[in-house]
Amino acid sequence: MARARKQEVQKEKKPLTKEELWIYVKRYWQLYLLLLAPMLYFLIFKYSPMYYVLIAFKKYSIVQSVAEMPWAKNHGFEYFLKAFKNKDFINALRNTIFLNLLDIIVGFPVPIIFALLLNELRLKFFKKTVQTVAYMPHFLSWVIIYGLALQVFSPNTGLINMVIEKLGGETIHFLDDPNNWVKTYIGLGIWQSFGWNSIIYLAAISGISPELYEAASVDGANRFQKMWHITLPGIRPTIVVLLILALGNVLGSGFDRPYVLQNNLVMKNAEVISTFVYKYGIKGLQFSLTTAVGLFQSIANVFFLLLANWFSRKMGERGIM
Amino acid sequence: MKNRVLSLLLTGTMVVSLAACDGGNGNGGGQAGGGNEGGGNAEPTQEVTQETFTGTADEIEGGSSSELTDGKFAETRHITVEIYDRGNDGGSDPTNNMYTDYIKKGMLEDHNVEVEFVKVPRWTETDEINNLLAAGTAPDICLTYSYPTIQTYADMGGVIDLQDLVVDNKNDLPHLWDWLGQTNMYWDKSVQDGTLWALEGKRANNNRIVTFIRKDWLDTLGLEEPTTREEFYNCMVAFRDNADTLLGKDAKQMVPFSVSSDVGWRAALLIESFMDPDVTDKELYTLGFDDRKLTQNGTKEAIQLLNQWYNEDLMWKDFAIAESNTEDDMMKAGYVGAFMHNWDYPFRNGEDSINANLQRNVGPDAKFVAIDCWENSKGEYVKYCDSTAGDRKIFFPTTNDEPLASLLYLDWISDPEHIEYLQVGDEGVTHEKTADGAYTFMPATGDAIMNSGQNIDMTITCNGLHLSTDELTLASLANNYPPCDPEDVAKANEVACNGKKPTKNAKITSIEAETGMGEALNGKRDIIYDTCMSCKPEEFEANWEELMADYLSSGGQDIIDERTEKWEAQYGDKVNLD
Repeated sequence: MARARKQEVQKEKKPLTKEELWIYVKRYWQLYLLLLAPMLYFLIFKYSPMYYVLIAFKKYSIVQSVAEMPWAKNHGFEYFLKAFKNKDFINALRNTIFLNLLDIIVGFPVPIIFALLLNELRLKFFKKTVQTVAYMPHFLSWVIIYGLALQVFSPNTGLINMVIEKLGGETIHFLDDPNNWVKTYIGLGIWQSFGWNSIIYLAAISGISPELYEAASVDGANRFQKMWHITLPGIRPTIVVLLILALGNVLGSGFDRPYVLQNNLVMKNAEVISTFVYKYGIKGLQFSLTTAVGLFQSIANVFFLLLANWFSRKMGERGIM
Repeated sequence: MKNRVLSLLLTGTMVVSLAACDGGNGNGGGQAGGGNEGGGNAEPTQEVTQETFTGTADEIEGGSSSELTDGKFAETRHITVEIYDRGNDGGSDPTNNMYTDYIKKGMLEDHNVEVEFVKVPRWTETDEINNLLAAGTAPDICLTYSYPTIQTYADMGGVIDLQDLVVDNKNDLPHLWDWLGQTNMYWDKSVQDGTLWALEGKRANNNRIVTFIRKDWLDTLGLEEPTTREEFYNCMVAFRDNADTLLGKDAKQMVPFSVSSDVGWRAALLIESFMDPDVTDKELYTLGFDDRKLTQNGTKEAIQLLNQWYNEDLMWKDFAIAESNTEDDMMKAGYVGAFMHNWDYPFRNGEDSINANLQRNVGPDAKFVAIDCWENSKGEYVKYCDSTAGDRKIFFPTTNDEPLASLLYLDWISDPEHIEYLQVGDEGVTHEKTADGAYTFMPATGDAIMNSGQNIDMTITCNGLHLSTDELTLASLANNYPPCDPEDVAKANEVACNGKKPTKNAKITSIEAETGMGEALNGKRDIIYDTCMSCKPEEFEANWEELMADYLSSGGQDIIDERTEKWEAQYGDKVNLD
């Protein structure tokens, strides 16, 4: 027993010997057994399918296994070269980055501000109601949101344009003008998600010690000063983690939001990688090409994630790994 | 001990519940490759063995199969057959209704073959059949409108070559050969290697597209039915200017001429009237990859005219963003003055047809009637239409273990007697007979409802009404759209038949530059049409030039070049087919 206690004191310094490790495992084997299940899950459902990424480097055939398919030209990189020569892909890549960056720049601060404002509310009932109403849109599918958007934004019969027309103004093409479409796209995205995203900030705010606020009150700080000097720094680690995750996804994109919202008149701004992959890959049967695009997208995402993580560490935050 | 049991139990539960998760939230590369796993399970590639085969079927004695006695298998065989699911409001179950029962019973009795129907959504059929083929779970008898899809899978070895099968079993397939004939049986046969990946279902009726206009509006405004482009334009202007008279408080909803985002189809007659009346078969073919005439000469002027009309508020402003049913609803509500569509479009779907709805919603006189008003530079009213082939294609994926039973199915479904029953149903339930023997069709209920006009989804080798005699067919055709007026249908049929110009088959089977390009180029085509139709007039020229250049450099020009090259290799200086 004494030996075990001594070992526990020292365990952070010295590596365990084989014998000690065995004792350790024997004592906590149930925990390891529990860990096995998620590990198996990841191996079976996340890692083994990665084998099929090889399709990106091979000439795809429906009747051959991945191993049997012949390698693509240019040492297997034919489809990557093809993708980068494809104007539509370059356009989709540009749009993906552009729309995602806009989403971060415009959309990222919104839930933070909303959480801060909500936190200042005194009436509990009112606060709860506002919060619930704000995160309701998160549960609507994009197809439904598009249906709503049509009722509100369509040029001829949309609510807003009818009002504008009654007031003698010019019709605004929210959904079928390429530049306005970007604004509508970003706006609808924020509307759908800011309430939901604010939950995590509210949770972080509630974890801040009330003593800090009391001390600040004693020092004569007003509400704005408290918000600025206590609440915001209190949730800074949360903000950084979420920002890293958002930046890591700058090349990724959901499928349904752009797909549902896009139409023929706005394609030059609306085609993103996910819809490009769907059109060329699933509908156009170019599986190798689109797997190559998907692989490129994933690798670029990892790169951005690491970059953001490195940057946040440089800035003195903890990062996520 | 208790703890150990508990922890084991917990672990077990966790493993089971995690295994039940399907990992559906993978992203990026994983998803792009999705649907490929089936590849490993599919059958090995079929080698092409008919390299030397060049003769026509006339020279070849058809055979019959030794597997059959009296047309029947000794043991019951099982096949699956694709059937379109149109999702009609109040339709019958596409896989289980009066007509599927008739087929199942007949096939079992005549050939000892058990038939199972597999439904595929009609409006996304190409995507769906792609998914099924990629997963190796496609039905034994597949049906699609998209030959490139078949070609793509055939190139990968996923489709059965039918050439030997139809010849070797010719004697067992009398109805199939009789009905489809050489044209449709061999339409898709390769000149190069004699392979035959698909049989062409036959159009009993190759009417294509007709322009419809609101007769009651013309009457209200004292206008004649337009017979020229100019007169049509004047009617549209009159509709626009008299919206208050025609629609009252709904005047704002007025759409004189409605065209959806598929401009190339919904304005086809207008676009085609700008083409050279003496256009050669070679030009039609080499510039003909796009079936919406994008690359044909004259199309630019046609779209420019549409652009002018659009900017004069003669057309539908929300066309690009509206959901798919919106336009039909507008027609039914009575907001639309004119449109182009399939020749029988306003009569389709019985009580839910556009004309029936109009009469309920607007008044007894309200209806769309067919007009003929798109004259070309020679003053002719040409209707480019399809051959009897080139419609739905039937093919067997290599996962089909019962090719003979499947062919017998096609034969059974091509028997004139069976076609007639599937199209007319039971007397007193779906039809009654007039004195001269013609069928009058009546709205059916329950299981007897046909989900498609003339039950074309059931009669996959036959599209359109086809009864025992041509007279009977014509007389019955007009009665085929209750509760719509038979005279209106007859007139639409007449207009559709005026100046028909059927497509010819150049028999140049595979253009490599086209492989896999269909989706991308069709998408670009629609963008060109939609953008150029709806932009400001002063931007038209620049938009057209820029977008066309993009279309051509994205593969369009390669296709035209390869088509020209192959035409010249095959026909030399000849510019017209026989």
